[in-house]
Amino acid sequence: MKPCFFLFTCLVFCIACKKDIIPKKEGNFRLNFDHKIGTAALKLGTTVYKNPSAEDFTISAFKYYISNVYLVKMDNSVQALPATYHLVDESKADSKSILLLAPQGEYRAIGFKLGVDSTRNVSGAQTDALDPALGMFWSWNSGYIMVKMEGASPLSTAANHMLTFHIGGFKGPFNAVQDIRIQTPISITVGPDREPAVTFTVDANAMFGQPNPVSFATSATIHAPGEAAWKISENYKTMFRITNVTDL
Amino acid sequence: MKQYVVYTCFVLALFWACRKSGGDNRPAAPTPYQVELPANFPAPVYDFAQNPTTVEGVALGRRLFYDPRLSRDSSISCGFCHQQFAAFAHFDHSLSHGIDNRNGIRSVPSLFNLIWQKDFMWDGGVNHLDIQPLTPITDENEMGEDLQRLIDRLNADKKYRSLFDGAFGPGEINSQKLFRALSQFMVTMNSFHSKYDSVKQQKAQFTPDEAGGYAIFQAKCAACHKEPLFTDGSFRNNGLPWNEFLNDAGRMRITNSSDDLLKFRVPSLRNIIKSPPYMHDGRFYDIFKVFEHYSKGIEQTPTIDPIVKNGIPLSTEEQRQLYLFLTTLTDYTFINSKSLSEILIDN
Repeated sequence: MKPCFFLFTCLVFCIACKKDIIPKKEGNFRLNFDHKIGTAALKLGTTVYKNPSAEDFTISAFKYYISNVYLVKMDNSVQALPATYHLVDESKADSKSILLLAPQGEYRAIGFKLGVDSTRNVSGAQTDALDPALGMFWSWNSGYIMVKMEGASPLSTAANHMLTFHIGGFKGPFNAVQDIRIQTPISITVGPDREPAVTFTVDANAMFGQPNPVSFATSATIHAPGEAAWKISENYKTMFRITNVTDL
Repeated sequence: MKQYVVYTCFVLALFWACRKSGGDNRPAAPTPYQVELPANFPAPVYDFAQNPTTVEGVALGRRLFYDPRLSRDSSISCGFCHQQFAAFAHFDHSLSHGIDNRNGIRSVPSLFNLIWQKDFMWDGGVNHLDIQPLTPITDENEMGEDLQRLIDRLNADKKYRSLFDGAFGPGEINSQKLFRALSQFMVTMNSFHSKYDSVKQQKAQFTPDEAGGYAIFQAKCAACHKEPLFTDGSFRNNGLPWNEFLNDAGRMRITNSSDDLLKFRVPSLRNIIKSPPYMHDGRFYDIFKVFEHYSKGIEQTPTIDPIVKNGIPLSTEEQRQLYLFLTTLTDYTFINSKSLSEILIDN
């Protein structure tokens, strides 16, 4: 081997080991979540709303997990992304906008799990968005609360007219994790120096609408997995609509 | 000669390029800790690869286990209810105790051989050892503390910061580290040094009465209390008369299935003589009351286990021998182990 060829090889190795030099083949995209009750903006506190059964109520907390986001390519094949977990919380502005990384390309639809997949429900102590200290984990019956809505209604027969909807469960027929997949009205293109953004309008009232309408007079408290929770999850799977796309 | 210098430079550059970044000032890695496992037990359920035990981690878990500051008013530690001399059950207490003189609705289970258990609590509601402590720490009838408040308190404590750094590397304490440390101590709580085990290894012999008791056990108890763990890990309705004061549906609370009404975990019989009272509500203070129950106390309900449905007759002589056999399941090495004993937390 010629000495200069050997030196060149060494140089190539040196460069190969410098991780930063590898060109990026990924780009960012953003998901925004805009919470509503029907057509009105959701405000935590004293604003009075009506559920689909025309019953008055107020909301003090609204939060849910978004996980396992994926994109759908123009040829309808699925582009899986590394599994990430996000707790979207109406009371935390930062949480309502999620920045994600995806391979460069053009995509026509977005999918995710509304909730936490079963694996993470049975894998012991988790961190970050899945930290049980966030109050979204049932200690007595291990598993995540997928969607949490709390408030009050004069019709509620619970103490202080409270509404408590802690919806979860990942086992058997009463799996409250819902797979959501929504086509974007225009395609989004992920690439360098771009940050396309998709805004979901999330109607919290969907939890109490079809196909299993909820009357607060008879159902004001759900805080366990099971059929009642699952029925709410059948309602909330229609909670998301895409209302804005910026493909820039 | 000049060529060699150039070569050397390049080779050095190669090493430099491949170096790990920022790895120079890290403290010494924790020392691995090998958990001793018996040859005749099945493979553990607990995945050690997810939480490798270290000397520092086990020691930290032990300190946490015995630190009453894990409870809201700093009055109750894990070890308060889980006493080593009672095989980590609560000796002489029928229902679990908590802060503010509160009581739970079930008895304190003994703690050992947890790495072979796939779910926890009398109703099996907890699905992983690591998150098991979340229940007693946050339950208002037990330690009554908010998890985030506890994490904040630990982070504010210099001693704990340095102990956690030593066990898990530098950084903020989070709930995962807390739970993993507690697990690292709990996975060392293993009981397989009883006389029964010595007999199985042909290092000791049963007395004639113990041998008689063992035969009775095998004929009448072993279907549910399966060797070598002395439980099959299932949930069954063993015909205990309904306690209307406690109103406890058992496993049905977890599965929502009426098929699981009044079903509770089959507990291990290891160390059973050291850990009264018995049953999920601690109703029997004497093991002979348990024998009597199976003999002639079975209450018929729709979910009654077929094995006990017609009772398990035990004559006085059989009860005596069975008792003597059960004493051979006491593991003195375990209940006297210095590495598991309570430590005084004074700082």
